[in-house]
Amino acid sequence: MTRIEAARAACPEAFPGRGWRWYARIAGGVVLAVMFLWGLSVLGFSLDRLSRGLARLGGVAMMMMPPSSGGLAWTYVRGIAETVAMAFIGTLVASILAVPLGFVGAKNTMPLGPLRFLTRRGFDVVRGLDSLIWAIVFVSVIGLGPFAGILAIAVNDTGVLAKLYAEAIENADADQSRGIRATGAGRLQVMRFSILPQVMPVFLSNTLYFFESNVRSATILGVVGAGGIGFYLMDRIQINAWPQVAFIILLILVTVGVIDAISYRIRRRLI
Amino acid sequence: MTSVEQVQAAWAAQRRVRLGQTALIAVALVVAVLISADLGEVDLVRLWERSDRLGNYFGRMVPRLAWETLAEDLARWYRRGDRWLRELGVTILIAIYATLFGMVLAVLGAFVAARPLAPAAWACWAMRRTFEFARTVPELVFAVLFVFSFGIGPLAGVLAIALHSMGALGKLFSEVAENADPEPIRGVRATGASWPQVMRYGALPQVAPAFLSYGLLRFEINVRAASVLGFVGAGGIGQELYTAIKSFAYTDISAIALMLIVSVTVIDVVSERLRHRLIGAASLRAAA
Amino acid sequence: MADPAPSGTFLRLEGITKTYGAARALDGVTLEVARGEMTAVIGRSGAGKSTLLTVINRLIDPDAGRMTCEGRDILALRGRALRDWRRRCAMVFQRFNLVSRLPVLTNVMTGRLAMRPLIPSLLGLFTDEDRAAAIEALVALDMGPHALKRADELSGGQQQRVAIARALVQEPQIVLADEPVASLDPRNAEAVMEALARINRDRGITVLINLHSVALARAYCRRSVAMSAGRIVYDGPTEGLTPPVLERIYGTADLDAIEDAA
Repeated sequence: MTRIEAARAACPEAFPGRGWRWYARIAGGVVLAVMFLWGLSVLGFSLDRLSRGLARLGGVAMMMMPPSSGGLAWTYVRGIAETVAMAFIGTLVASILAVPLGFVGAKNTMPLGPLRFLTRRGFDVVRGLDSLIWAIVFVSVIGLGPFAGILAIAVNDTGVLAKLYAEAIENADADQSRGIRATGAGRLQVMRFSILPQVMPVFLSNTLYFFESNVRSATILGVVGAGGIGFYLMDRIQINAWPQVAFIILLILVTVGVIDAISYRIRRRLI
Repeated sequence: MTSVEQVQAAWAAQRRVRLGQTALIAVALVVAVLISADLGEVDLVRLWERSDRLGNYFGRMVPRLAWETLAEDLARWYRRGDRWLRELGVTILIAIYATLFGMVLAVLGAFVAARPLAPAAWACWAMRRTFEFARTVPELVFAVLFVFSFGIGPLAGVLAIALHSMGALGKLFSEVAENADPEPIRGVRATGASWPQVMRYGALPQVAPAFLSYGLLRFEINVRAASVLGFVGAGGIGQELYTAIKSFAYTDISAIALMLIVSVTVIDVVSERLRHRLIGAASLRAAA
Repeated sequence: MADPAPSGTFLRLEGITKTYGAARALDGVTLEVARGEMTAVIGRSGAGKSTLLTVINRLIDPDAGRMTCEGRDILALRGRALRDWRRRCAMVFQRFNLVSRLPVLTNVMTGRLAMRPLIPSLLGLFTDEDRAAAIEALVALDMGPHALKRADELSGGQQQRVAIARALVQEPQIVLADEPVASLDPRNAEAVMEALARINRDRGITVLINLHSVALARAYCRRSVAMSAGRIVYDGPTEGLTPPVLERIYGTADLDAIEDAA
């Protein structure tokens, strides 16, 4: 004990004291724990629900085995192809629309403050709503089908990509722009010959990255009737055709895996 | 040949190769677009025909607000405001808990999935496959399955987003952990600490700022994801929004959308500040 | 040829061999270390000195050979017993190997992890006993005032003394020091060497120390072991490192050239 007292005397701060700090920390911990438990109860957590749910989930997993197409393999493959097509066109349109918008939203290329501000807030509005929300809006206006999904992806991603592009443009090296301007180039020429070459790899790799992530989100757009494999997935869950549900999930896993691998290769070559 | 001719010849040859490549990529792209447009039922004529309907749709969302009766108009616009506010709160709560649970699971798994740190090769492989699966299946698919097993409500939503977050974060975390400095880890291992202790004291302090920063980024994503869980009965404001859109209650749509946009934007801004502080501090340290 | 052991053999290595692909890092190393000795291991860089120490600590397993400590087979140890062995033979590294984002005190207390139950240690709970041991060790190395600083706020020499404090709280029987002063300036190097000599003298802890400098070996160690290409080429009193012997080890007897080569 004397050993500990000697050490405490040599360096009192090394020992957690029983002062007000210690009590404050304990009190903070208790408050956090109570808040945590309160949140759990609001969200409907209970051991009973969890255990029964897990048991049910286990049952579902058992019923999924073995996965089977139920003779509809061709339908599902066409569904997944439709999903990929939706993601492809949606991303392509968004990445093209986002380039000019990005230049309008960037400080160094858009001198008019208010216009830049409005553009940026526009990105926020579009970005703030999940693509699934855009999807039901377009389904109500255009009608059921993959075209509504394409429009949803295109609109949502235009906002996301335009913001990223604007940030990339703002981070472009100003010295290079000055060099081009020194040759007597105008504002648009500076954008074309200094900023665009610098940000192009960022643009392309982001576009590919979003294509990957859009394939993922496009798989669920069918939940609200906006085309793709999601429609079948929802439908097969509702009629409890579990082996087919497993088949569709596997199909999604394989497709996303293949696209990720290809896109990863291309992105690595770009950077 | 003179040197000018040589340069010109080399230039021309390079140009031919470049042109060939560009043409090939362009043709491939056009073919892909055509096939995709067919599969995706792209119908520009219909889009043109319906464009006035589209404008009309968004136009009708604008609430009637007059300066003289602003208070009443706002009250009418947000007549179900307290309910929406509560559901918005639940949505953010879902995102918080899902991010928290996903992060905890991802931290635990990341050290197993990081190749130089893994306690056993088979465990590393299994953990990587688990993360891959959880990351690839969209959270809404998990949500539908969980609503079926756990019942309607936010519980299913939290579990679905947590599972997906675990996969997404687990991949990022294990990449960060693979890049951790091995020397301090060796130092702790040499004291006779067990594997969990080595990870806790040798690896975790190094990677904690990056983990937190990625966690915050995921939280931003999860708030958006939580906003649509209600479409499939997994809790949050999505249910209200879905009903509003399906019943063409235009001003309700705009009211809820505005709430969502404002809260998402605020969360993004705050979280971005925090992230910059975390990463900035970490990079300053690296430079010192 | 070896010194008469002061109080019996502590550690015995027989035919220890370790290969990395085609390269033989250790080639049939046979070595006896007596209890309470302070022994220098010298040789060119790449001679296998670091591998030797990491094999003794069992951070790396050798391909062949036997290793016993007081008659116990060290290479057969697994799990808890292996971790206890690592605790008993503390390591000090050239690059200090501290966790830079943790406070000095916590870094030192990691030396106690092997003695602590898992769950409290993962929660960051250490006993007052652990804290006292860490403070004592730091004070003994003149590092007491720095206990609550972050490890990366200290100079190299200070960090190395923190690393020695971490080794001390392990309550080791042997300290393995791998080029502990190679990254330090001469003044700090002396302080660190003094600290190692003191724990050997005052606490009777066996010290095995890799050195790039023959001068340091002469100043602090009675016995020296020289390695070349994974083999032991000299084992005896440090005074025996005469120019002809050094010529055989390093290919030159010029001390400056040796320092540069290391």
